[in-house]
Amino acid sequence: MSVPVIQVGSCLIATLTEEIGDAEALDLQETLNSRIEKSSATGVLLDISVLETIDSFLGRLLNEITLGARLLGAETVVAGMRPAVAMTLVELGLKLDGVRSTLDAERGLALLGQHLNGNSHT
Amino acid sequence: MTIQIDSNQEFMAAQRATISELETPVIEIWDGVLALPIVGTVDTVRAQNMTESLLLKIVETKSEIVILDITGVPIVDTSVSRHLLETISAARLLGAEVLLVGLTARTAMTLVHLGLDLAGVTTRTTMAKGLQLAFARLGLEVVSGRKISAEL
Repeated sequence: MSVPVIQVGSCLIATLTEEIGDAEALDLQETLNSRIEKSSATGVLLDISVLETIDSFLGRLLNEITLGARLLGAETVVAGMRPAVAMTLVELGLKLDGVRSTLDAERGLALLGQHLNGNSHT
Repeated sequence: MTIQIDSNQEFMAAQRATISELETPVIEIWDGVLALPIVGTVDTVRAQNMTESLLLKIVETKSEIVILDITGVPIVDTSVSRHLLETISAARLLGAEVLLVGLTARTAMTLVHLGLDLAGVTTRTTMAKGLQLAFARLGLEVVSGRKISAEL
């Protein structure tokens, strides 16, 4: 099952579920990129609060999604990572340097909103 | 004889438990600001325990800023700095900003000599400066009460 992507305002939101496999993850990357290209989205929120594990593939892909979205003019926020997941990623050496994280989806949206406001002023 | 050994072992276990409790206190020093004072050297096991309790506390208190105080760390070498960077990375993944405070001139020189520039980590010399920066990030300001009452 592919991950549904919804658009709220200028923000694309995707909630990753526990069953996400490599194929679905790649599918999500493609969907997000094409949606950003076609729409006027300037923010992407990836909610990973239900994920109890993230393997190295998905970890790398989160980084790639962020970098790809940035090239297309959208900022990505990964929201709701669990402590155990964060520790695993760091132990794997995946520090997701390009990715911005927030504690929950609410703060993620606030951060994206701030980013949008910052852009509209300049 | 065996009883003696048993009680000794129990004593040692209790001591070890006490030490591990003492070594990683995560303190909420302000609404949304956590402080983690590190005293003594940091090895792999300790770093893991420290990171774990820090991450759990970040989620529990919904904190945005973490101040890592290394005043009490005698020598910051390659392995210690690697552990610190791992803790910082993990906290960042939960959306917290980490400020590293308590750097001394000697620590800074050691780090530079070792080629570890801690790129991307905000550092300050004292906990006070770190707290000040944390307040600034949260949009808070510390004002002297005496000054206010004089103006009234």
